[in-house]
Amino acid sequence: MLNGIEELKNHMIKADYICNDKTATVLYLAQALQKPVLVEGPAGVGKTAIAQAFSRMKGIPLIRLQCYEGIDESKALYEWNYKRQLLHIQAAINQEKDSQQVEEEIFSETFLLSRPLLNSIVSDTPAVLLIDEIDKVDFEFEALLLELLSEFQITIPELGTIKARHIPYVFLTSNASRELSEALKRRCLYLYLDFPSREMEEQILLLKVPDLSQELAQKVAVVMRRIRGVEMKKLPSIAESIDWAASLIWLGKDDVDVEILLQTLNTLVKHHEDLEKIERLLYSRQDLEFR
Amino acid sequence: MTILHNIQGFFEELRLAGVPITPSQAMDCCQALLQVDWTQEDYFYSALFSTLVKDYAYGEIFDQVFHSYFTLQFFQSSAPEKRDPIIYRQLNAIEQISISGGQMAMGISQSQGGAADSPGGTKNPLDQDFRLDSMSDIHQLEAVFPIIARRLAAKMVRKRNRNNLAKIDFRRTIRNSMSSGGVPIDLFTTKKIREKPVILALCDVSGSVMTFSCFSLALIASLERFFRKIDSFAFIDEIDEVSKLLLSGHPLDLRNHVLKHARVVGASGYTDYGVSLKAFHQRYRNYLSHKSTVLIFGDARNNWFNDESWVLQEMKKNVRKIYWFNPEPQRNWGLGDSRIFEYQKYCTQVFECSTLMQLEKAISQL
Repeated sequence: MLNGIEELKNHMIKADYICNDKTATVLYLAQALQKPVLVEGPAGVGKTAIAQAFSRMKGIPLIRLQCYEGIDESKALYEWNYKRQLLHIQAAINQEKDSQQVEEEIFSETFLLSRPLLNSIVSDTPAVLLIDEIDKVDFEFEALLLELLSEFQITIPELGTIKARHIPYVFLTSNASRELSEALKRRCLYLYLDFPSREMEEQILLLKVPDLSQELAQKVAVVMRRIRGVEMKKLPSIAESIDWAASLIWLGKDDVDVEILLQTLNTLVKHHEDLEKIERLLYSRQDLEFR
Repeated sequence: MTILHNIQGFFEELRLAGVPITPSQAMDCCQALLQVDWTQEDYFYSALFSTLVKDYAYGEIFDQVFHSYFTLQFFQSSAPEKRDPIIYRQLNAIEQISISGGQMAMGISQSQGGAADSPGGTKNPLDQDFRLDSMSDIHQLEAVFPIIARRLAAKMVRKRNRNNLAKIDFRRTIRNSMSSGGVPIDLFTTKKIREKPVILALCDVSGSVMTFSCFSLALIASLERFFRKIDSFAFIDEIDEVSKLLLSGHPLDLRNHVLKHARVVGASGYTDYGVSLKAFHQRYRNYLSHKSTVLIFGDARNNWFNDESWVLQEMKKNVRKIYWFNPEPQRNWGLGDSRIFEYQKYCTQVFECSTLMQLEKAISQL
């Protein structure tokens, strides 16, 4: 009998995402305990992709909230459609309606513009809610999320509390550019995604780059691992290694050497200084050892 | 002994090591354990990790405690039951957890009362002194540097963001409402003018303030990630710009990094605030503007050299504020070769920062 976690892992692979036992366990627990998952890790290791794959696996929609500095409840939760409300009032004046009635009307759900967070709990099917780059938001906004994340409900002063029809699977991603509040972290399961092991990167490459041969995938993975050993501003992540492998295929190469790496270095290294550093290493050593 | 005691013991162990474990986390952890097949170490580990650790900075400590705790337990229990890890032996107790999970959490919060009053217990790293003798203590302190530096930086950012809710631009709103018969359909707000802090940091990296300078460099580095416009300089008896240097390199190694790559040692090799300040005045004066805030980190121990405090006097005329962070306790100021009082005349404020707690307080006062 397959246990739940193994099964989940296989399903995730079918959804184009390879995860190790640890990641799978956290995903499994998130389902079982109905808790949000807080995903941290370096840029490009698949924090956002994990939520996307999860929604593919479950076959349910993904609702995404991209956070940025200055985002507020009117962008994330709900907003009263005040233009429509004003027009409605104007219309009501002509019809000589009772003011009490008008007031009730304009604060009804018809005049409510729901934003991603509200959408995720009122949708007819369960959904995956991805709150991307939560570390970009202000502290006040973080507090706003607490009600949603623990009770799965949203309180709108004029309407009352809206409870989730289906509890969404929530993923929060963070680049750890600032400390998140304890209250938020307490409500979540914590998942740290790091650069993958060599074997795992090889598998990922094979999955993501269809025409890649086993041999080349192996070589790419080895070189990537070595490059990450070099001290750089921004280490190349899985996203970059996939790009690189794809560009190797496009160039019709089936082997990795210094020359081809120099040619395609731009797909891997995204900082001018890092680029110079790697180039220097390659020119001086003429090998792919990176020591 | 049940698994409950084991897990509880593990929580205690983590708390002693400085990882804050709240009762609700403990309960989550137990619930998580009920869900997974915990005879497999990977599952067991990540069930614990994902519920107990909420910050990767604690990850390493967690790993250490995890391995020492559970392998130790394994060896102790291996005698009667040969090769079963402790978790396996306790499978029968699993139901017990669900019943007593709540009670246990209560128990934890009670037992927390004594020594472990705050999460992390008596070893609150914030309270530790900067001037430590034993290396192991310093390393312990180093482990929390990036966390605290990040927290401080976040605080400064928050400070910056406070009170900038945009106001309604009545003129524009009313004028625009003409097209809709006087009904202000679109609200216009005044554009926020965000004042960007221009920070200039000077950091003494000499041996006498070793730990402190490690920390202040880490702090400056993390500030650099938050504010684009930071110029930082390091000095002993020669001053050099290190803004770029701080961005690369591991936060804990920054001091070595600076010593290796920047020209901070001059003719004598002894800390000389006078020479450094003068050099700063000569070479980098044009970095200053009326918007800049200058942060100086150091103990102002000048080895009896000339203090050249006129440089600060000049500086004060040109910049908005000068703050000095001194790692020495206030009672030692002005004693021996400390020239802090000479410099204090020209500083907006001088803070005593012998512990991180004080530094945090000082920053929140800015």
